[in-house]
Amino acid sequence: MKAFTPLSIVLAALNVVGVVWSAPITFNTALPVHEGGMVWREQFIYDKNSRDSSPANRDMKVSGLVSVLGYGVTRDVALFGMLPYLDKRLDMDRGGQRVTRSDQGIGDLTLFGRYTAYQSDVPGRTFRVSPFLGVKAPTGRDNAQDGLGRLPSPIQPGTGSWDALGGVVATYQTLAYQIDSQLSYNANREANGFRFGNVAKLDASFQYRLWPRTLGSGVPAFLYGVLEANLVRVEKNRIGGVDDPNSGGTTLFLSPGLQYVTQKWILEAGIQVPVVQNLNGIALKNNYIFSTGFRVNF
Amino acid sequence: MKVFWQRTVLILGLVLMSVSAFAAQQAYKLRVDGLACPFCAYGIEKKLNAIKGVQKIEVDIASGTVNVTMTEGASLDEATAQRAVKDAGFTLRKFEPVQPATQTK
Repeated sequence: MKAFTPLSIVLAALNVVGVVWSAPITFNTALPVHEGGMVWREQFIYDKNSRDSSPANRDMKVSGLVSVLGYGVTRDVALFGMLPYLDKRLDMDRGGQRVTRSDQGIGDLTLFGRYTAYQSDVPGRTFRVSPFLGVKAPTGRDNAQDGLGRLPSPIQPGTGSWDALGGVVATYQTLAYQIDSQLSYNANREANGFRFGNVAKLDASFQYRLWPRTLGSGVPAFLYGVLEANLVRVEKNRIGGVDDPNSGGTTLFLSPGLQYVTQKWILEAGIQVPVVQNLNGIALKNNYIFSTGFRVNF
Repeated sequence: MKVFWQRTVLILGLVLMSVSAFAAQQAYKLRVDGLACPFCAYGIEKKLNAIKGVQKIEVDIASGTVNVTMTEGASLDEATAQRAVKDAGFTLRKFEPVQPATQTK
């Protein structure tokens, strides 16, 4: 099991975290939450990782339902909470037979605040820059066991550790298109002798209004074509205080998608495809991450 | 008799004018900067609708304008409109009272 690398899980967790403050599909930006208003986002994620260069022929699948609630404390300050329900499954060859290890349950709760530090509005356009800071609480189970003993940390629904996250997100929005970019960092701590590698991300999203081609009066619904890029750098995990050489690395995703946007709700779907994966050792590589969901304004 | 009818018509006319005056509804056109997507427009409708006396909100995203119609006898001041727009996450560029609409009784 030491050869197993939780990069895919870390990536999945990042996406889970990423949905919280976003107009994009795969990461977050300055989603406007008006003062006193709430945004509820529900997203289903399916993350497949089976590109294995080891003889274990590993196949890791994570599906999850991620619930996000945002609340506008003031015009500039918004608080977000995110709680995933995760189903993790790892199939691998071990001792001449196929072994499956899996667990399901509520994952870790992420809470963070976002402050709109800069905002420039002109007719039909807005530009906003918002730093954010948060914490991930170990609310998910981290001591699940099966017939083979305690499950490896990446298969547990929770990490067992209190972790910090922070970054800055910028949005430039016009009536025809929207560009978002985000720089973020997750600093992880040790729990149960295991520490997930810290994660740095640089994300970009371009959303282009496909329909209606010409804006009529009122507030028409928009259909956006979305293209996103996610550059993810994950440090090596530490097991018992020692770096795992088969973990961490750099991945670049390209993520096409669609969003149908109305005043009250949004439907969206996208798929993250890894176009570059420069991972350490025999870290398990990602096949794709599919996500779909909705958002509702209150 | 002629004087009677003249007075009656005059009184009726005055009554009708006063009814029209009371039925007049104030309306305003707000030019809002930063309004660029349907999902964002929800907040501005909600904030303006929460103001006492607001009867109808019409957002036009293409022109970045919001037309606010008040109930009879109610009015909206610029500071209140500005606060609502700001709380919704946008910037009020211009506040214009428009020709009051009248209701037919």
